[in-house]
Amino acid sequence: MISVDGLSVSLAGRRVVEEVSFALEAGAFAALTGPNGAGKSTALKAMAGVAPVEAGNVRIGGEDAGALSAPARARRLAWLAQARPVAWNLRVEDVVALGRFAEAPEAYDRMGAEGRGAVDAALGKADAAHLAGRPFQALSGGEQARVHLARLLASPAPVLLLDEPCAALDIAHQLSLMETLAAEAAAGRTVLVVLHDLELAARYCRRVIVLEAGRLVADGAPEAALSADVLGRVFGVQRGTGGALIRKPR
Amino acid sequence: MSRLTVILVLTAVALLAGSALVGTAPISLADSLTALAGQGDAATRTILWEIRLPRAAAAFAVGAALGLAGAGLQGLLQNPLAEPGVLGVSAFSALGAVIAIFFGFAAVSSFAVPAAAILGAAVATVLLAFAAMRGAGSVTLLLIGIGLSSFAGALMSLALNMAPNPYSLSDLVNWMMGSVANRSWADLVLTAPALMVGAALVLVAGPGLRALSLGEETAASLGADPKRTRLLVIGGTSLLAGAGVATAGAIGFVGIVAPHVMRPLVQHDPQRLLVPSALFAGIILLAADIAIRVLPFQQELRLGVAAALAGGPVFIWIAARLGRSSS
Repeated sequence: MISVDGLSVSLAGRRVVEEVSFALEAGAFAALTGPNGAGKSTALKAMAGVAPVEAGNVRIGGEDAGALSAPARARRLAWLAQARPVAWNLRVEDVVALGRFAEAPEAYDRMGAEGRGAVDAALGKADAAHLAGRPFQALSGGEQARVHLARLLASPAPVLLLDEPCAALDIAHQLSLMETLAAEAAAGRTVLVVLHDLELAARYCRRVIVLEAGRLVADGAPEAALSADVLGRVFGVQRGTGGALIRKPR
Repeated sequence: MSRLTVILVLTAVALLAGSALVGTAPISLADSLTALAGQGDAATRTILWEIRLPRAAAAFAVGAALGLAGAGLQGLLQNPLAEPGVLGVSAFSALGAVIAIFFGFAAVSSFAVPAAAILGAAVATVLLAFAAMRGAGSVTLLLIGIGLSSFAGALMSLALNMAPNPYSLSDLVNWMMGSVANRSWADLVLTAPALMVGAALVLVAGPGLRALSLGEETAASLGADPKRTRLLVIGGTSLLAGAGVATAGAIGFVGIVAPHVMRPLVQHDPQRLLVPSALFAGIILLAADIAIRVLPFQQELRLGVAAALAGGPVFIWIAARLGRSSS
């Protein structure tokens, strides 16, 4: 469904992503992980078309993403940024309705029945239906994160990219978010999520991609991609006696 | 049209009619109404149709232009304190007008003053947008605006010094303070094209402004075109502020106050904010212009001064509230 081939990205003259290649089929639920500064967010941005691709290419459903117009790309791929500012105290439905901007650039009240239905359904899936009608800036951090998730789910795009969606969420909502994403993948969407919580990644994702210093260093099922070797070499951690991850002595 | 828009339009029409009934010439209500209907004696008709109504229409048009420009700039810069006056756009526009007058371009073509005012507004808006693109925050933009305003003031003094046919200081004050006294229909017709094109540009940018609420990168990922939105708003607000200044000189704060009052009534949506802000700002200036004619001052208070007297404290109040929520 989405593939990157030899993707390289430079920011301010520095190579941040270096010849990364992988492909995700429809229905895949994959985690992208790696230490801070590994290039995860930048790789996601390049896939979403908001960071310049220096070399290589991104294909969505077989089409060259670089050749797509912005609305055409938005209909195929939705991206949740790591930083999620909302400048005005918009109503929750209007924030979610922006997820369908490429379909209909309207506020919720002026959308057609189909658009409103999609927004309502997305709010339900994100466990945020009760937040409808509230002003966004009055919500807690966790509630705001769920509204952003609903915005992503309201989009018709078959590919979802999420950059640390679990930040600011309590444990119950982290689990419920992962379950929601798993259900979206089971329904045929392709989901790639940047996670720092390796346990969460291993538990829900059938595939884990590990970046280190801009390069892809592991890609496969969780047990293979997060092997003791990778944990030690890339993350500097190991399994303790109880199975929990502990810092590896240097 | 939403109910809010209908109420604002009706209020504006009522105030326009009310404005025609108020003035220094002692005309009875009955005579005024007769003259408004196109009847009665010629002198009264002239006073109403050629003096009071153009003045009222100018006050409304200038207010609407500034309100729309303010709402558009606020959406673009994502800052509730943005406005042509505060950001120095009006001052640069006035500078353009002053240069056109003092160096004799105004004598060459009647379009010279509006064109120069629009050009001046465009220079300031482009500078501000350039700073915003490079990541300047709210405070930086406002500081740049203060700098632009003072700089434009200094350049106006310089223009005055160097002008081959220096007018009196009171002409400069006229452009800095703003007034719609003695405006004719011809003045309005001259700036109408700029007003209409400017308004159209800003209104077209509306949906893009709502997308920009989520930041430029996310807006782009949603299929919006932030660059196009920026160009539309810059072009549109330059035309609006320039046309406003060409008609009435620099009038501050209306462009801040109107969007601020309207925002909660439109669910804080930057797109739906545009039309009500324009109408409400027009209403504010129209009401202010009626007030300064009714108030018993020896010499008539200037419209820009009245707007600043009322708008200044509101601006400070909004800024203080912003500081509290961000600290």
